[in-house]
Amino acid sequence: MRIPVRFELNGHAVEVEVAPDRTLLDLLRDTMGETGTKEGCREGECGACTVVVDGRAVNSCLFPAPEIDGTRVLTIEGLSCDHGRLSRVQQAFLDASGTQCGFCTPGMVMTAVAFLAENPAPMDTEIREALTGNLCRCTGYVQIVEAIQLAARRSRDPQA
Amino acid sequence: MTAEAPRESDGHRRFVTTVVEVEGREETKVVELPVSEPEPWGEDARLTVVGRPIPRVDAAEKVTGRARYTADIVRPRMLHAAIVRATIPAGTISEIDVTGAMAAPGVVDAITLEDIPRIRIDGNTLFDRTVKYVGQPVAAVCAETWQAALAAAEIVRVTIERAAHVATFADAIAADAPLVRRSGNVSRSSPSIMERGNVERGLSEADVIVRGAYRTPPALHTAMEPHGAVAEWEGVGDRLTLWESTQGVFRVRDEVATGLGLSRSRVRVIKEHMGGGFGAKNSAGAHTFIAAILARRTGRAVRCVVDRYGEQVDTGHRPESRIHLTLGARRDGTLTAIVADSQVTMGVGGWEASPTAIMHELYGCENVKTTDVYAWVHSQAMDSFRAPGHVEGAFALERGMDTLARALSIDPLRLRLSNVPGRDQEKGRPYSSDRLRECLVEGARRFGWPGWEAPAGLQDSEMRAGDAVGDGMVREVVAGGGIVEAGGGRRLRGIGMAAQVWGAGGGPPAYATIKLNSDGTADVLSGTQDLGTGTRTVLAQIAAESLGSRFEDVRVVLGDTERTPYAGNSWGSMTIASVGPAVRMAGEEVRRRLCEAAAEMLECRPGDLSARGSVISTRDGTRHLTFADVTGKLGNVMIMGHGSRGPNRRDVGLVTAGAQFAEVEVDAETGQVRVIRIVAVHDAGRIINPLLAQSQLEGGIIQGLGLALFEERIIDRATGVPLNPGMHDYKVPTSKDVPMIDATCLPVTDPQANHIGARGLAEPPIIPTAPAIANAVANATGAAVDELPLTPRRVLHAIRSTYA
Repeated sequence: MRIPVRFELNGHAVEVEVAPDRTLLDLLRDTMGETGTKEGCREGECGACTVVVDGRAVNSCLFPAPEIDGTRVLTIEGLSCDHGRLSRVQQAFLDASGTQCGFCTPGMVMTAVAFLAENPAPMDTEIREALTGNLCRCTGYVQIVEAIQLAARRSRDPQA
Repeated sequence: MTAEAPRESDGHRRFVTTVVEVEGREETKVVELPVSEPEPWGEDARLTVVGRPIPRVDAAEKVTGRARYTADIVRPRMLHAAIVRATIPAGTISEIDVTGAMAAPGVVDAITLEDIPRIRIDGNTLFDRTVKYVGQPVAAVCAETWQAALAAAEIVRVTIERAAHVATFADAIAADAPLVRRSGNVSRSSPSIMERGNVERGLSEADVIVRGAYRTPPALHTAMEPHGAVAEWEGVGDRLTLWESTQGVFRVRDEVATGLGLSRSRVRVIKEHMGGGFGAKNSAGAHTFIAAILARRTGRAVRCVVDRYGEQVDTGHRPESRIHLTLGARRDGTLTAIVADSQVTMGVGGWEASPTAIMHELYGCENVKTTDVYAWVHSQAMDSFRAPGHVEGAFALERGMDTLARALSIDPLRLRLSNVPGRDQEKGRPYSSDRLRECLVEGARRFGWPGWEAPAGLQDSEMRAGDAVGDGMVREVVAGGGIVEAGGGRRLRGIGMAAQVWGAGGGPPAYATIKLNSDGTADVLSGTQDLGTGTRTVLAQIAAESLGSRFEDVRVVLGDTERTPYAGNSWGSMTIASVGPAVRMAGEEVRRRLCEAAAEMLECRPGDLSARGSVISTRDGTRHLTFADVTGKLGNVMIMGHGSRGPNRRDVGLVTAGAQFAEVEVDAETGQVRVIRIVAVHDAGRIINPLLAQSQLEGGIIQGLGLALFEERIIDRATGVPLNPGMHDYKVPTSKDVPMIDATCLPVTDPQANHIGARGLAEPPIIPTAPAIANAVANATGAAVDELPLTPRRVLHAIRSTYA
């Protein structure tokens, strides 16, 4: 059985058919060929597959693909389509060394994007709370928190 | 620097054997002595690219999701493989029925033992009929999609005649225990004894003797990216290309070639990006051979990525250790004897990473005797995990040193300072860099260790802060034991410290080639790997420095056995100290030849020219040519330079040393431990990139914190089944567990180690973290916390048994 879904992916309308047992992660990686979203555990624990659905950061590995119908989805690929220029959060992750092996990075960045939209001037403790669903095994999270803080500062003062 | 011939008998030979230390074990290598190597960059070398905090070169790929990991590799008509695993720990397979799986939608092929050559992994045979652990691969299927392969693997019917198993060290060595290996349940080398001096004499000279029993847990690497490989054969199946998430492309190539009976040059292994390794990705695994074999059978590319369950039950672990330690010392704290007996629970395979090796190295002592026994049990094999052995041994030794300090009523820091060895005691030679004392003193100063100079200018705002220290509680810290109470008694504060030593000097063989492109940019080629550590960036800095070019004009190409020259595994914290000198040597050659070309164009002598920022200038500064000017005029002349790593000097020992200090808060009612802050000071020689060094320090500390407080793979003794084989129940630290971290490296260089002055930094920071935290918990509670991880249950138990 295939279920037709229509949704918006990174600003573009998409119409596809999905099997009912597929997840949003499967849809993005296999059907759409967008491999920027990573699969680290397939059990909703590591957060590497985080994407933003209607403004909310979700684990795409737990999100049933048919449920995506009618939503707006933002993935890591949707952040920097402006002639290769990095978005603010991406640039901050680069500048503050918020990435090491990089496997958790797309999920971290998407969590940060959704979080900063809600809370543009966060405390460090709030950032740490927001990141608890995104595991990283290389960094000590310190530079990731600094990266998100840097992005927040730059949104208030682009020279920061 | 002149490379020393490793053996006198080698005389003036060019191809000599030398010994390289790798993760605490010594490997003999043949090395071609470089004709000449550059003079070392000394303390006063004026370097403009090396030493700068440059963001990593591949960060843009990583933050955009464009960096491709193994699971992102897509080949035309590619199939997906899934592994069928044993669900009981011991027995004999009587039947594997794949007919149901083969009939499932999308399934293309299935393989069992009968379908493959005999392939040995960790001393065991792939798809063996004899089952030795839960999670052991017994078959594999491949299908048009990953989901179809996973579903098909579920319906392969495996019949196993169950046999008795052993899950613990005690069970393994019991009389009449079922055998894990035919040769017995302890390794052939057990007991492995190392002795220096005479410990009986040392103990008789001691004024105080302390004894302790310590335990470190089985820990799982839990890299964010699971193991994986994509295999594709060319032509009529005689050339194999493998994209593999690995710490060693050449090692994987050699193992796959051996396993499949191919000549080595018929296998090409490529590693572009990988999502962490931590020691678990040093070799070809079941997934590698499964992908290669299924690809050959089907004539199509096959991707085999291990799922998270497989990752946690079958890709290696840090083995559980139990160590009995006896320390003898004079009244003034001088160590007179160290006696340690360890028991290591290996699983079904792995190598013997001694947990007591550190007892011979960290502190000065004439009389040291250690005995290691390694047992096989029915669980997944041991594999290297960030400073294998030393992490386990440091916990025992450093807890023991604190117990000794308490017995002697000496400050724990002073006890350590009075036992700094000052030399490589095992080999009777000085260290190339002897700075453990400096690390201890600088760490104490930054931390504000009681009785030490107040931290000059260290404000809370300077700490790499998470939560603020000021929580309204009175904070008292005393060293040397005793209960420290804060804020009314229930929450106890304590401080502790621990030190570290680790061989991280690197060594040969390692090669690099640099080619200058016609636009004046340079490509660095080397067969090493970047696991996420920053190798690409750091090598680009070394290349730019030696070329005299701009950093952004250098591109680094790594990890391809067909197209890059040999470099060894990225293990033992040895990548930069091994490959860095080769890159520098190649860069110097390119610069020399470029200057020769420029001299002809400028009608001057090459010696009158210098290169900086991709511009060649005459000494008087009047005339300039850019690199692109020169290469533009050279047409298709290609300037290339080659570099190789010479042998290490034999008259100095190469170690990275460091010290860490921890402050914790313990809830005396719940046993909950919160780490408030960690101060770390390490000496790794020259730091090529302080930003990336910071990442390594913080990452190592947080893995050490995980080992101290949360991480433990649990196997049910009765059934042999792993109880926490996922990221939900196997707890790695999250962002909320991170304390304030003030981590730094001494601003030094080590010109005796190699001509770039750098040693390794990947493993050292994890070594002292857990003992420093445990010592702080002991300081807070007065309880002997000698078993990791310090879960609330263990901490409460330790408190109750101390005050019962």
